[in-house]
Amino acid sequence: MGILRLSHVEIRVPDLELATAYYAEVVGLIETDREPERVFLKCWDEHQHHSVILRYAPTYGLEAVGFKLQDREDLDALSVRLEGAGVAVERLAAGSLGPGSGETLRFRSPSGHTIELVHGMQQVGNLLPLTNPPPEPLGLVGIHPPRIDHVFLMCEDVDGATEFFRDLLGFRVTEQILADDGHRLAGFLERSHTAHDVAFMTGPDGAFHHVGFWLDDWTSLRQAADICSFHGVRIDAGPTRHGATRGWGLYFFDPAGNRNEVYTGGYWVDPDREPITWTEAEMGHAIFYYEGAVDQRFLTVHS
Amino acid sequence: MLRSAGMGILRLSHVDISVPDLDLASAYYTQVMGLLEVERAADRAFFKCWDEEDHHSLSIRYDPRVGIDLFSFKVESEDDLEELERRVEAFGTRVHRVSAGEEVGQGTSIRFDTPSGHTMELVHDVAKVGGLLGKLNPDPAPHGLPGIAPPRMDHLLVTAEEVPEATRFYMDVLGFRLTEQLLDGDGHQIGVWLERSHSPHDLAVVSGANGGLHHFAFWLDDWDHVRRAADILAYNAIQIDVGPTRHGITRGNTIYFFDPLGTRNEVFTGGYRPDPDFPTITWTEDNIGKAIFYYEGDLNERFMKVHT
Repeated sequence: MGILRLSHVEIRVPDLELATAYYAEVVGLIETDREPERVFLKCWDEHQHHSVILRYAPTYGLEAVGFKLQDREDLDALSVRLEGAGVAVERLAAGSLGPGSGETLRFRSPSGHTIELVHGMQQVGNLLPLTNPPPEPLGLVGIHPPRIDHVFLMCEDVDGATEFFRDLLGFRVTEQILADDGHRLAGFLERSHTAHDVAFMTGPDGAFHHVGFWLDDWTSLRQAADICSFHGVRIDAGPTRHGATRGWGLYFFDPAGNRNEVYTGGYWVDPDREPITWTEAEMGHAIFYYEGAVDQRFLTVHS
Repeated sequence: MLRSAGMGILRLSHVDISVPDLDLASAYYTQVMGLLEVERAADRAFFKCWDEEDHHSLSIRYDPRVGIDLFSFKVESEDDLEELERRVEAFGTRVHRVSAGEEVGQGTSIRFDTPSGHTMELVHDVAKVGGLLGKLNPDPAPHGLPGIAPPRMDHLLVTAEEVPEATRFYMDVLGFRLTEQLLDGDGHQIGVWLERSHSPHDLAVVSGANGGLHHFAFWLDDWDHVRRAADILAYNAIQIDVGPTRHGITRGNTIYFFDPLGTRNEVFTGGYRPDPDFPTITWTEDNIGKAIFYYEGDLNERFMKVHT
């Protein structure tokens, strides 16, 4: 049945200890495993082994982004489809990408990102028992979002990336921002019936704009802003609302300069829902509905 | 995209109930619940939530007795309708095909009786009337809607004498997945929560009379909206059944209340996002209080007994 949802992001950081401290103490993720140059983390309510991998590198940015496949047969079907379109696909056995990793198809998308399609990542359980569980664990530190939500990437040819994800990977376009000449400045795509699992915005190929973590409500977003400020984490924008996706968001930077978001709201998407279009003149409201103007840092700073 | 036979049931489409006073019920569902009346016939009225694009998610029909006529689930493709029709028939249940034009706001559908004693419908072809916001530079929410104004319908809970038998039908024949279950001291299912939409539940079944409706629920985005809903209910002198509170099961935040004719409604937010490989959560009967009402830890008799 194809791609289910975003599975994980692998993020480059030049200081693994500092980044791990930030993702564990401020974002409030749980460390599940460690290699000499990589740290594996997950959100508290996730059952799978990891949703964030921090990788030591002399720079910042996105090493890879993974999506979860529903069925094992999807690996075959998608690899045939990708190879039929001339995409070089690497098939990796479970475990070969490190602890917990499932069977994986790995390829380079035209947007310049390394994409991993995964089936069967190790399940480690969330932090709650399966019998008579309380609704959430107590005593978690930091923001502690329940799960990863979406990833926002940049590339030169947003139309090309959007069509690649739509036509080859089965994503559906929920929203788009069109330039006055009709080409896409941004495209929002989903597989999970939410407003977006992945989005693209105009920028350099391979660039990483942000990873978004889910929060349950606006009050949690306010608490997240308190936690960022308390820890001296630089807030980029928000708490505010998006026109595109209708979600509420708060953006901030990890110590390496990778942008994070905490996000809530949005809407349910049937597969036959017609996409929403934003015009270039309304781009300010599309991105920041309350401010009505996009700040240049948000449009241009990426990792 | 990768399977010719489509993907099966997508989500709850609509609930059809009967009411002894069509005008009173219409006034409540539009002014207090804040739904939009889409269409009205002599003895029926059709409503939808503001963010829904399909023709209706609630229909009310005049009848001297309060009750549920049917509940309807949306399937992803016409192929799914045919495949599920075959599966229901193979189970030994007679399927009635409703032709396009026979039912308001939708094309071909199939209807059948479930082991829980309900009439269930599956439909793909639904008339699109659009959300209130449009598709070009839309504001994130409409303004000036009266009442609670939920963006969409979320789930329903029905009653059945034999919960395990009903569960097997919904799972094995229709492809629902079991997120949570409540077991009595003998390990017998007395409540099950089933999903197709990657939410904690689209359909739940608890022990009770066959064919009964416990409640249907509308989605709200946020706990603060649940609080605001309680204000609106109290202002309109609507009888609140329980809440605002939280469920252990589904983890949702909630209020239960009754429409003026006695059908229980809920507004619901929160929960979680189960993958299809989600391990089922089990509740034991000695924890039933917290399972249902996490803050109170106790069930009230009305909640357990009253249904329509």
